[in-house]
Amino acid sequence: MFSKQKPLWGKKKKLKSSYDVVLIGGGLHNLATAYYLAKNHGVTDIAIIEKNFIGFGGAGRNTAIVRANQRTQHNVPLYKEALDLWPVLTKELDYNLMFNNCGNLNLMHSEAAMKAARTTISTAQFHGVESHLIDAKEAKELVPALNISDDITFPIHGAMFHPPGGIVRHDAVVWGLAKGAAEKGVEIHQQTEALAVGTKNGKVTSVTTSEGVINTKQVLISAGGYSAGLINGMLGIKLPISVLTIQAMVTQPLKPLLNHVVSSGAYHCYANQTLKGEIATGAHMDPWPNYTNLSTAHFIKHQAEALCEFLPCLKGVRFMRIWGGLADMTPDMAPILEGNNHFDGFFMNCGWGYFGFKSCSSAGKYMAEYMATNHCPDMLKPFALKRYEEHKLMGETAALVSYSPDN
Amino acid sequence: MMNRLNNLATLQIDSSRKISFIFRGKRYYGLEGDTIATALYSNGIRIFARSLKYHRPRGLYSLDGECSNTCMEVDGIPNVRCENTLLKDAMEIKEQNVKGSLENDKMSVIDKMDWMMPAGFYYNTMHKPAKIWPIAMKQIRKVAGLGTLSPDFKMTGKYDEIFPTTDVCVIGGGPAGMSAALSAAGKGLRVILLESRPVLGGFFEYRLKEYKEGQSFHERARELAAQVEEAENIRVFTHASMIGAYNNNLITGFQIGRESDCFDERYIEIRAQSVIVATGCIERPLLFENNERPGIMQTGCALRMAHTYGLLPGKEAVFSIGHDLGLETAISLYDLGLKISCVADIRREGQDSELVAQLRERNIELLKGSVATMAHGAKQVNKVTIATVNGTASQDYNCDLLVASAGLTPVTSAITVVRGRLKYDDHTGYFLPDQMPEKMHATGRVLGLDNALAIESSGRLAGLQAAFDCKACSIAEIGEAENELEKLPGPTQGTKLVIAPVKGRKSFICFDEDTTIKNINQAIDKGFDVPELIKRFTSAGTGPGQGGIPGHNLPLYVAQYQKLPSISIRSTTVRPPIVPTLLSTYAGTNHAMFKRTPMDEMQREDGGVFRNIGVWQRARYFSNDFSCKAEIENVRSNVGILDGSTLGKFRISGPDAVKALERVFVSDMSKIKEGRVKYSAMCNDDGCVIDDGIIVKQGENDFYFTTSTGRAGSTIEWIRYHTRYDGWDFHMVNLTDSMGVINLSGPNARKVLEKIVDIDISNEAFGFSEYREFKIKDTISVRAMRLGFVGELSYELHVPSSYMKSVWLMLNEAGKEFNIRNFGVEAQNVLRMEKCHIILGQESEQRTNLLDVGLGFLWDRNKPKAKTVGAVALRQAESDQTRLKLVGFKMENSGRAPRDGSLIVDEKVRGYICTARDSFTLKEGVGMALVEGDLTKIGTRLEIYEDECGDDRIYGKVVQMPLYDPEGTRMKM
Amino acid sequence: MALTITCPICGKRNGYEFKFGGEERGPRPDEKDLTPEAWCDYVHMNNCVAGVQKEWWFHRDGCGSWFTIHRDTTTNFEVEKAEAEK
Repeated sequence: MFSKQKPLWGKKKKLKSSYDVVLIGGGLHNLATAYYLAKNHGVTDIAIIEKNFIGFGGAGRNTAIVRANQRTQHNVPLYKEALDLWPVLTKELDYNLMFNNCGNLNLMHSEAAMKAARTTISTAQFHGVESHLIDAKEAKELVPALNISDDITFPIHGAMFHPPGGIVRHDAVVWGLAKGAAEKGVEIHQQTEALAVGTKNGKVTSVTTSEGVINTKQVLISAGGYSAGLINGMLGIKLPISVLTIQAMVTQPLKPLLNHVVSSGAYHCYANQTLKGEIATGAHMDPWPNYTNLSTAHFIKHQAEALCEFLPCLKGVRFMRIWGGLADMTPDMAPILEGNNHFDGFFMNCGWGYFGFKSCSSAGKYMAEYMATNHCPDMLKPFALKRYEEHKLMGETAALVSYSPDN
Repeated sequence: MMNRLNNLATLQIDSSRKISFIFRGKRYYGLEGDTIATALYSNGIRIFARSLKYHRPRGLYSLDGECSNTCMEVDGIPNVRCENTLLKDAMEIKEQNVKGSLENDKMSVIDKMDWMMPAGFYYNTMHKPAKIWPIAMKQIRKVAGLGTLSPDFKMTGKYDEIFPTTDVCVIGGGPAGMSAALSAAGKGLRVILLESRPVLGGFFEYRLKEYKEGQSFHERARELAAQVEEAENIRVFTHASMIGAYNNNLITGFQIGRESDCFDERYIEIRAQSVIVATGCIERPLLFENNERPGIMQTGCALRMAHTYGLLPGKEAVFSIGHDLGLETAISLYDLGLKISCVADIRREGQDSELVAQLRERNIELLKGSVATMAHGAKQVNKVTIATVNGTASQDYNCDLLVASAGLTPVTSAITVVRGRLKYDDHTGYFLPDQMPEKMHATGRVLGLDNALAIESSGRLAGLQAAFDCKACSIAEIGEAENELEKLPGPTQGTKLVIAPVKGRKSFICFDEDTTIKNINQAIDKGFDVPELIKRFTSAGTGPGQGGIPGHNLPLYVAQYQKLPSISIRSTTVRPPIVPTLLSTYAGTNHAMFKRTPMDEMQREDGGVFRNIGVWQRARYFSNDFSCKAEIENVRSNVGILDGSTLGKFRISGPDAVKALERVFVSDMSKIKEGRVKYSAMCNDDGCVIDDGIIVKQGENDFYFTTSTGRAGSTIEWIRYHTRYDGWDFHMVNLTDSMGVINLSGPNARKVLEKIVDIDISNEAFGFSEYREFKIKDTISVRAMRLGFVGELSYELHVPSSYMKSVWLMLNEAGKEFNIRNFGVEAQNVLRMEKCHIILGQESEQRTNLLDVGLGFLWDRNKPKAKTVGAVALRQAESDQTRLKLVGFKMENSGRAPRDGSLIVDEKVRGYICTARDSFTLKEGVGMALVEGDLTKIGTRLEIYEDECGDDRIYGKVVQMPLYDPEGTRMKM
Repeated sequence: MALTITCPICGKRNGYEFKFGGEERGPRPDEKDLTPEAWCDYVHMNNCVAGVQKEWWFHRDGCGSWFTIHRDTTTNFEVEKAEAEK
C-alpha cells in the first residue's frame, strides 16, 4: 500500500496487428468479460478498444446501486450471481470495491403496487434471494427520515425491503477489473476508436481502429449507450433500443442519515447515501432519444420536489452536482446478449438500460464463457434478440406499456 | 468585538443596527449587512471549520463561497457557507465536523497521518481480511460527511418559484454586465440582470481607487447601477445566483429574499432569446505549503473585509500575489492602518508603475519574482517563508495575515455547462471562450480584459450582439462598437507560476476534499493521466465549493507534471448547480394535483376512503372493512351505486371514423348497430391488449366510446398515431371530464332507475347489451347502457358532469326504500373477479396478448385491409403454447385465497395470481391467475407459492370461467 | 439541456409539451406475406443515429397533432428540413 506507484492497468502498449479477441468499449461489461476470459478460460490475447478512457460512459456515471430483486425468473439468477460476486471480486482483484450491502427499500404507494411487489418478492424468495414486503411503519423504522403521513402526493403504503442489495463504489469496479485483466495480459487501449468491423463470408475477420487494423476472429461490442449505434453503423444490425440520457445528482456531504437505498416508482426517484456522505439521487429520464449526456433544469427541480415530499428533512440540504449518462433502453427492460448469430465470431452485449452496473460481473462472466466455448450458457439464453420477433417480451416491467422509449 | 472602520463610502454594514445571534450556545452581536462570517470575524473567530479528511483548521479565504472553509450549521441546516450568507436576527450557528471544538479538534491528529493515506488509499486497504470491511465502513461513514441533518428536521420559511421570459438575460451585475444590460435595453429590449451579491457593481463596487479623475471605481459602480435601476425595461435580480444554463437559452438561478420580500428563497427559470455572460473573474489560489491556514485569504476577500464590512483583516500582513489587484489591495489596506511586512509579487516585471510608486511612497517592501512557499503556525498563520520563484533564496516574515493570490481566472461555468468551448490562452494564462454556444455572448473580464474602459465597452458590444439576436440591432452598429473596443487596451499578461517551489505534501489544490499536490502526483503515477480521471481518483473538485478552488490549477498542474505543452491544457468539466442550492428552493411551491370527480365531495361525506388511481382520486372503500363484505353483498342481493366518472369517454365522428376505429379496435367496427353496445379491445403492435371499452353508434359516422381510466389521457394520441400516414378525415373529442358515469348495479337496480325516468326500461324494452338515450325530467340528457361488469343487472348512466350530482341525489332518493348504498372500487374489483371480467393491468401485463386473456372472440381476423394494430402479432403468436394464459381457479379443501401477486410454481415459476379473494358470494377462495399454457386445462392443480411461505405451499385447481353465474342470467334479467 | 420543438400549428414551444413518437418508419406495411422478422423490424428496430434523424412528435399539451421534425440527437437541436436532407 505504501509502495511506489505503478500504473494500475499496465504501461501503454502499441496496438498489435492481431488479437484472438477484440472487445469494443472500455466499460464494465467488457472489462469483466476480458477478466473472466483470461481467468476462467485462459484466453489472454485480448485487446479492449476504448475511444475515451475506461469508465468514461455509464460505468462512471451510474449511482452504483446493486440489487437482485428483478421481476422475472430469467433475470433474478443473473443479478443474484452478480450480487454474490462483489465480495469475491474484492478478494480476487485485491482491490476494495467498497460493497456496502445496506439493503434496498423500494416504496409502494398503492394497493396495486403492493400486489406487484409481492410477485417480485415471491420470485426473489423462490430463488433464495432475501426480499420482504413490509408496511409503512416498518419502513419508517428502517429510514426514520421517511414521511409516512397521508399528506403527501403519494402516501406510502409499504415497501419492498431487499437486505442483500446496496451500493458498490463504481469507479473501483472499473479500475479493479482493469487491473485484474491487465495483470493477466489483457491489453487496454484507451484513446483508440473502433471504426469498423470487417467480415468475410459471414465471419468476423478484423476490426479497424484509429490506431490501425486488427485481425481477429472474435469481436464483442459492449459499449453501453453507444452499442446500438455502433452495431448498426458497423454491421447494419438494427436493434430494439432507444438511447436516452439519464441523470443523477448528489447533495453536499452529510453525516450518516440514510442507512438504506430508498426508491419510489411513483415519485420516479431513488436516493442513497454514499460512503462520502452525499445523498445520491436520480431516476427520471427525458423520454426522447439523445446522446447529449446533458442534464436538464426540469429534472433537478423534479427531483427536489419528489425528495421534499417523502424525505422532507432533505429540504435543508443542497444539491451540489448533476450529471447525465446514457441508458440503452429495450422495450422489455431486459438486455440483449447474442453471439455467432448474424456473423460467426460477432457478439453483442447491450440493452441494459440503467441495469448495466449491477449486472456487469455476472454478465461478463457468462459472456466470457459464451465467447470461449462458442456455446450460449443457459443463463444467457433468455436474452436472445429472437424474443422480439416472437412477441415474447421479457415481462420485466409489470406495467402495460405502449413502447414509449423510456417505458 | 473589533472596531469597525467608519466613513468608507463602500461600506455595506449599518453600524447603528446591531443583530444578535447565537454561536455555540453563546450570544454574539454583528451588524446589519454582515455575513455570518464577517460577524464572527468581528468577534475574534478565526477558525470556521475543520477540513473533511485531515481536520485541519480552516479560516476565511474567499467571500463568495468558493470552498467549504466557512461551512457551518445554521438554524439546523448543515453546510451553510457563512462567508456569503447574510446574518439574520436570532440565528443559531454551530460548528460541524469536529470532535471537541473548532480550536481543539481531537480528530486533527489525522493531519499527521497523511503518509498513510496516498490518493485512493481506500481502494487498497480495509478489505483484508474481508470481515474488517463492514467495521471499517461504519467508521468511514462516521468521519465522512460534513454537517449533520436530523431526520426530523423541519424546514421553515417560504420558498417560491418564477418562470420569467425575456429578450436578453445578463448574468453578472458588474461593470460589463450593467453596460450590456443598458445597451440592450437601449434597443428597446426586455432585459433580466442577475447579480449574485446583494448589490450591483461587481469588482468596481468595493474599490476606492480612481476610475477617472474625481471618480472612484465605487462611484462609477453606483452611477451605472443608478442607470440600470432607472431603466424601465431592465428587471434586476440582486442576491440571485445563476445555477444552471441550458441550450436554447434557458437560465436557472435562485434569489435570496430580503426582509421585505414574500419569500426566503425563490427558484428562477428564465427563457431568454439571448444570453450575456458577464461573470467576471475569481482568484486563482496560490499553491504552497499550508496554503489554507487560517489567516490566509485572497486579495478580494481582504479588501472587501475592510471596504465592505469595515473590518481590517489583520494587524501585520504579508502579501504574496501575482497581479495588480494585489498591489492595489496592499496600498488600500495599508492606508487603513494595516502593517505590511512585504509584498511578494510572482511577476519579475509588468507591474503598474503607478502602483509600484505608491508602494514605494509608503515604504512597503516589494519583492519581485518572489512567492510564499510555506505558512507557519499551528492553527493560525504566524510566519511566512517567502522565496524567489525558482526557490533559490528564502526569508521568513512574521505576520498574522497572509494575502495570497496567484492570479485571476474568468468564471466561465455558464459557457461550459452549455458545451461552449474554452481554450487555454498563453498570454493571459486564462481559459478563454473559444466557441460560444448559439446566442450566448461573453463580455468583460470573462474575455480576459482588465482595463476598466475596455470592460465597459465590451459590455456595450455584448448588449448589441444580444440585440442582434433579437433582430433589434444592425451589423453596422456592432461594427462600430467593435471598433470602439479595439481602440482600448486588451488583456494584459498573466502570471504563469503554477506552484511555489515546494514538494507539495501539504499544498492543497482542493480544500474541500483535502487533496494535495502530492495526491495528484500519485494519481498520475498510477495511470490516471487526464484531469477528469484524476478528479475521480482523488475527489479533487467534487466538494461543496463546486471546484472553485481547484478548477483552474488542476489542469495547469497536471500538464506541468506530465510536461505537456500548454496547447494540450483542457479545462475541467463544470456541472450544475453552479452554486449549491437547497432542495426546498428547487422544489419551490410544490402542489399535489389530482383530478376529482363530480361526486368527490359527496362520496367523502359518505365515508369514502380515497386512493390515488392514476391522475384521479377515487373512493376505494366505504368502510374500514377493506374486505368490503357489506358493499359486495349489497350489490349481489340489493342495489349499489358506484361513481365511474374516471372512465375515458370519447366522441369520434366524420367520414373516416369507422376506418380509424377499425385500425385500433380488434373487432369489426363496421357492424355496430344503433341501440346496441359493442364491447371491444385495443392491442399494441405485439398483440398485447392495452385497453378495452364499449362503443356505441350515435348517428351516421358518429360514435361514442369508452376506455379504461388509465388510457383516457393517451387515447387520442394513440389513434392519431396509428393513422398518421393515412390522411383520414375524422374528428375526436375527449369527453372524459365533461361526462360523469354512474353505475347502478344489483337485482333492484331497475326498480330504482324506473322511478326517475319516463321511458320504459323493462328488460324487453331495454335489454342487456343495449343502449338508450333519454332525458330525465325533460332536462338532463342521459346515455344509458345495460352492462354487466359486476355480473348483476346494471345500468351505466353517462351524464353531463354538471348534472352528475342531481342524478346521483335522485337515484339515492329513489333507492332509499331499498337501502341503496355506495360501493367502491375494491368491491367492484371483487365482484367482477367473481364474474371473471378482467381489468387490464391486473389480469394482464406487458407480455399478455388478447388471446392470452381469453378475449380472442373479439378479434375479427377478416379485415387485413384495416391493418389493425396488433393483428399481425396475434396471428404470428396464435399457436404459441408457452405464453402465460389466464385461468380461473378455486382453492383446494376450502382453503383461503392466496394473496394477490403470489406465484404458481413447480420447480420453476410457472405463473402468478392476478386477483384472488375469499368470495362471500361463492363461499370459497377463488381467483384468476396467469399460468403457462400447459397448466390451463380444467382440473389442473396449481401449486401456489406465497411470500414468506418457507416450505409451505397452498393449492388450487383450474376451473371453468366465469366463477359466478356462468350462464349470465343475473346480468341479463 | 432545454429542448424546444417547433409544432407546425403552435410554433416553437417547450419540449416537455410534446411526446416523442419514434423514428420515421413509413406507413404500416401490408399484412399479406409479412414475415415475423419484417414485422419486428417495423415495430421495434431503431437506427439509433447519433446525428440528425427524422422523427415523430405529438403536441400533447397543445393542439394534439402528430408531425415530423429533424433533430440532432447529439445536441437536441432541431434542424431545418432542407439542411437535414443535404
